Amino acid sequence: MSGTTFIKTTNLSKVYSSGRIEVVALKDVNLTIAEGTFLGVTGPSGSGKSTLVNLLGGLDTPSSGIIEVQDKPISELNKEELALYRRHQVGMIFQSFNLISSYTALENVAFPLLFAGVPKKQRNQRAAEMLETVGLYPRRGHRPSELSGGEQQRVAIARAIINQPKILLADEPTGNLDSKTSRQVVQMLAELNKNHGLTVTMISHEEALLREYANDIVRLHDGKIIDR
Amino acid sequence: MKTSDYIEQSIANLWKKKLRTFLTTFGVVIGIGALVSMFSFGQGIQKNVTERFRELGLFNYINVFSGSEQGSTEQPEPNKITLLDDELIEQITQMEGVESAFPEIRFPAMIRFKDQEDFTLIQALPATVYQSDLIKLCAGTVYDSDEPNSLIISDALLRSLKIEDPHVAIGQQIEVATLIIDIGLFNPAAIASVLQGQTMPFARQSYTFTIVGVIERGEFGGPTPLRSDVYIPIGASEKMKKLSLTSIWDFFQPTGHKQGYSMVGVRVSSIKYIDPVKKQLEELGLKTFAFIDELQELKKVFLLMDMFLFAIGMIAITVASLGIINTMVMSILERYREIGIMKAVGASDRDVKKIFLFESATIGFLGGVFGLALGWAVSVLINSVVNCFLGGRGVPYIDYFSFPWWLCLGAIAFSILVSLAAGVYPALRAARVDPVVALRHD
Repeated sequence: MSGTTFIKTTNLSKVYSSGRIEVVALKDVNLTIAEGTFLGVTGPSGSGKSTLVNLLGGLDTPSSGIIEVQDKPISELNKEELALYRRHQVGMIFQSFNLISSYTALENVAFPLLFAGVPKKQRNQRAAEMLETVGLYPRRGHRPSELSGGEQQRVAIARAIINQPKILLADEPTGNLDSKTSRQVVQMLAELNKNHGLTVTMISHEEALLREYANDIVRLHDGKIIDR
Repeated sequence: MKTSDYIEQSIANLWKKKLRTFLTTFGVVIGIGALVSMFSFGQGIQKNVTERFRELGLFNYINVFSGSEQGSTEQPEPNKITLLDDELIEQITQMEGVESAFPEIRFPAMIRFKDQEDFTLIQALPATVYQSDLIKLCAGTVYDSDEPNSLIISDALLRSLKIEDPHVAIGQQIEVATLIIDIGLFNPAAIASVLQGQTMPFARQSYTFTIVGVIERGEFGGPTPLRSDVYIPIGASEKMKKLSLTSIWDFFQPTGHKQGYSMVGVRVSSIKYIDPVKKQLEELGLKTFAFIDELQELKKVFLLMDMFLFAIGMIAITVASLGIINTMVMSILERYREIGIMKAVGASDRDVKKIFLFESATIGFLGGVFGLALGWAVSVLINSVVNCFLGGRGVPYIDYFSFPWWLCLGAIAFSILVSLAAGVYPALRAARVDPVVALRHD
């Protein structure tokens, strides 16, 4: 599946400085992600996978290079504009789920709508629909500690897609799950990609699993793409 | 984010840490409570004093003195002194806004009631003066004409004459003995005795008056229009033989010195006439004294007192602010990851900042409301203790505190403002949280 270019990076580099020590996390990455693709990103630990996803998701800013999303350079956006980009165009899920422990599943899913200024009634209604989509509506009143790992990640997926983003960035979403649950989660992402046209970029160590569902896989090593 | 969402979020977040929120808010409650009770005390005292002045109608009075005052070391040229005489009083009465002008006629007298005697200064007052609120009667009435031999006496003097119940005195006869030059002394032997300082050339002249009213003794000393314990009508006073000496200064006046009244009380119909009347009087070369001017001076003193009380209250507020800063910084450390999540799902730095500022403001609001309640409770407690103590000594009930609406609203607004100021640093710190670091945070 190869549609129009959704994201394009040009010579994307990220260098972290800690005192005099500089760590190159990404170096001159040139990557194109077509709209509607399921891209798998793999590579050893410290290869720059999470950095790449954080940069694409607007959580971090590049040291040099350009990120264009639908031909608009997001690397030039200010903090407020980046927040809007994250709010409306990007959904993110993480290895550690990153749910708010004191909130119920429903409140966690509805959380992004709060910042979008959606009224409470609509927030809850849409969150309930999202939980229905991921099959967790009956568990809407449970807190994360009362849910299994797989369920927590499904809540995180529901939260990531509630604002109807264009791209879903998943940073090792199966890292904390057993193989059966991992497969269910990846299957869910693949369905969102296939049925809703959502562009998905997923980081995983499990290349075999990626090969099953991803349209394309890039392999990173020492901050560079070594294979596609 | 909507304002209602910010409020809801802040209440929910504070509710999660009930004990900490309670303790922090309690700090603000104490601070605002201290500030409110201090301030309301200042206001209460101010209100009591000004209302008492107003009740007495003192603001409508101007006391007028001739250009040269008794005891003054300056000796103005005699032809420049405006004499306070009946002609001038008539002139003053004609001025716009002047209701009445009456001379201060005071003379020493010995009064005798039943078997008790006392020395006092008697003041002759026209009946019109009683139309004002200046006099508070505790028994009887005032005299309504300037002629009869009626007399009004103060409750304090009655007590020294061993009369506790003022009603007993009403309608009773009282003897007033004035001081006169003893004509009988004008024989050579007596003159020699006087000249040697062995006897004084004075005699008593007795008059009988009927007590018609008993007044409460004025609480204020100083040059008030009424400053005696016994008042009689002007007409009656004029018929009495007496020496109008009020102080030792009168003996040292040069021979042939034309004696006017020492003071004239001028009552104007409204406060707005005070300044124009004063100006006209001063143009006549007279010295004036108006209570309203004293009030301005008094207000400066009150302002100083308020500032002092405010400074004490501010110490408590400063401590409470440090508590807020501490709580909010702790809250950021605990919710570090949550801030990362907020940003990951689309919260801007401004949203994060506002969330924390609203939490500080909520603490401030609660602290303000309950602090106000505490301040009020303290005032009720102090009022009842002090009044219970003073009530036993015959002092009437006084509310020492005042809570005007602006103080109540101001206390809450101030509490919110101070809490917001205390929340600025934590809020900025929260807004600066790097989401990438926060999301990795355990």
